[in-house]
Amino acid sequence: MQTSDLSDHISKRYNKDLEDLRNRVITMGGLVEDQLASAISAVVMGDSELGLKVANDDYKVNRLEVNIDEECSRILATRAPAAGDLRLIVAIIKTITDLERIGDEAEKIGFLASMLASMDRPADSYRELKNLGNHVLQMVRDAMNAFARLDVEAAQAVVREDEDVDEEYDAITRQGITFMMEDARSIKRVMNVTWAARALERIGDHAKNICEYVIYMVEGRDVRHTDVLSGGDPA
Amino acid sequence: MPGTRRRFVVGLVLLLAAGMLIGWLYGQPALGLLAAALLALGYQVRQLLRFEAALNNDRLDDADLGEGIWAQLLARVIYLRQRGRKHKRRHRRLLKEVRNSTNAMPDAGIVLNANYEILMSNQAAAELAGIRAPQDRGQRIDNILRDPRFVAYLAGERGERGVEIPSPLHDDNWLLCRLVPFGADQHLLLIRDITEAIRVNRMRRDFVANASHELRSPLTVISGYLDTLANDELAPADWRKPLAQMREQAERMNRVVGELLELSRLENDAAAREEQEIDIGAALAFARRSYAGEEGIAEIVVQAPLASRLRGVPTEIESVIANLLANALRHTPADGRVTLAWEAVPGGACLSVTDSGEGIAEEYLPRLTERFFRVDEGRSRDSGGIGLGLAIVKHALLRHDARLEIDSTPGEGSRFACHFPAERLVGSEPVPIGRSGARG
Repeated sequence: MQTSDLSDHISKRYNKDLEDLRNRVITMGGLVEDQLASAISAVVMGDSELGLKVANDDYKVNRLEVNIDEECSRILATRAPAAGDLRLIVAIIKTITDLERIGDEAEKIGFLASMLASMDRPADSYRELKNLGNHVLQMVRDAMNAFARLDVEAAQAVVREDEDVDEEYDAITRQGITFMMEDARSIKRVMNVTWAARALERIGDHAKNICEYVIYMVEGRDVRHTDVLSGGDPA
Repeated sequence: MPGTRRRFVVGLVLLLAAGMLIGWLYGQPALGLLAAALLALGYQVRQLLRFEAALNNDRLDDADLGEGIWAQLLARVIYLRQRGRKHKRRHRRLLKEVRNSTNAMPDAGIVLNANYEILMSNQAAAELAGIRAPQDRGQRIDNILRDPRFVAYLAGERGERGVEIPSPLHDDNWLLCRLVPFGADQHLLLIRDITEAIRVNRMRRDFVANASHELRSPLTVISGYLDTLANDELAPADWRKPLAQMREQAERMNRVVGELLELSRLENDAAAREEQEIDIGAALAFARRSYAGEEGIAEIVVQAPLASRLRGVPTEIESVIANLLANALRHTPADGRVTLAWEAVPGGACLSVTDSGEGIAEEYLPRLTERFFRVDEGRSRDSGGIGLGLAIVKHALLRHDARLEIDSTPGEGSRFACHFPAERLVGSEPVPIGRSGARG
């Protein structure tokens, strides 16, 4: 059984190749989601072991990216895909780049978590950071769901979410600046928190990118740097 | 039916014969036959066209096909159609009931084909795992449940109990997923919400750890004063006995708290342990020496033909040996014998403690490693057992990828065997194939 929009080919083998490729991207997405969830909980719970584990496990994501990249090149070279299949391959090549960057940011957050764990914890236990993290994690999940289901509406919803994430990031930065002005001893900690928030905000952007590739893959229109909702006119 | 058929054939033959007879009277039998045949054909064509029209316009009941074989055919079709409708209604009702009952199930059930693509799912699957009923049909399950642990489980690393993953919908919830094969190449994926169970388990662990900590400090104070009082020359003579008993009991409580702490430490911190290469033969000999010179206990024999060392945490392995040995001695009479062995078995190595004591009845074996479980309440308390020793052994072994095997024959003795996998051995000689772990 082939999933929805992947058109039927005379060669069953080709069909299976494309489907496998898509599944591997989603597997990579699952790994990245797990890394991100662990990184966030490492920061919030002050668990330095978990943070270092995330930082050390990033190689798995990178390895998957290389594998999928090779597979894409192989299909491009041997099958010369056209139309929807070509868009699928192009979207996958771009998606895995963003997934790999999300993995890198998660690695960074894991490392920051291990540093933050050894410092004083603020009274609110990084509540803002936790909220931002959960928000971003949900975006990544929704992006991967949209990718799996080829769901354009869900993808558009994620693209809209990104603005909220940017606002939350601004709030954390402003709060950090206030802390630093009040008490110079907190600068080191607040800097680390700001870096983590920055990484989360970047992850939000990557999730948004993935959703734009989903829209491109399904509808064939490029919505990057445009107002997604109006349907493609440059903003 | 056969009557109608015969009448139809006979009627046709009679008509043709009559045509031929009339033609013969006029000297043209062939022409007469032809006219009769045309007449018959015309009638049958008319009936056929009517029948076809009735089928097409779905007005079977009003169709007028007269008597005979055509009316029979019509009745048969009407009957078949009604029966088909009745079956369909019954199947639909049955299907609805099945769907209603699967939707009422609190656990998610998802039917997968050989490639793990979703064929069917119930209501709970949507609530627990976010699987949408018609849209996600044909989607591979690991496209939606993407947790790496689940993907590995699907790929073949099947644990017996299934796999626990965080819920993709609610961050703090946990799901237990189990894959059950059925039919030809199909799988049923069962998902259960175990958030509450995990929370309760964690609460229990935290409670035991905290309570033990809180009990320890007052206990230290009490036993400290009791020690001083018991050694005080000035204490009245008739206080001696109560004081001694109080000391004994305080000592016992201290041991319980100590073992509870040890147990919760084994359960809780997965990390923060330093593994070393342990010389088991030496550890066994050391355990035997610690009983040297004690009166009234069984003879202790050490057999360690295996030179390989074990990679593990020394304090934990020592505690395993000490607990098993203390247990064996407690249940073996003074003229018995306890054997400590370290030997190679297929696939790894085995550390065993065999005694010639009274043995354990079959029905108690599965419960032995529960905490505070005692086969015989009164007796083991007298001999100093607390009921935590085997629980500690079990958890320490779990942390070393080992499993505990208990064999026992009432009246002859028991054997507690810890099987360690080959990966845990260092500097091992080739494992002899076919030589089973000989009983001590």
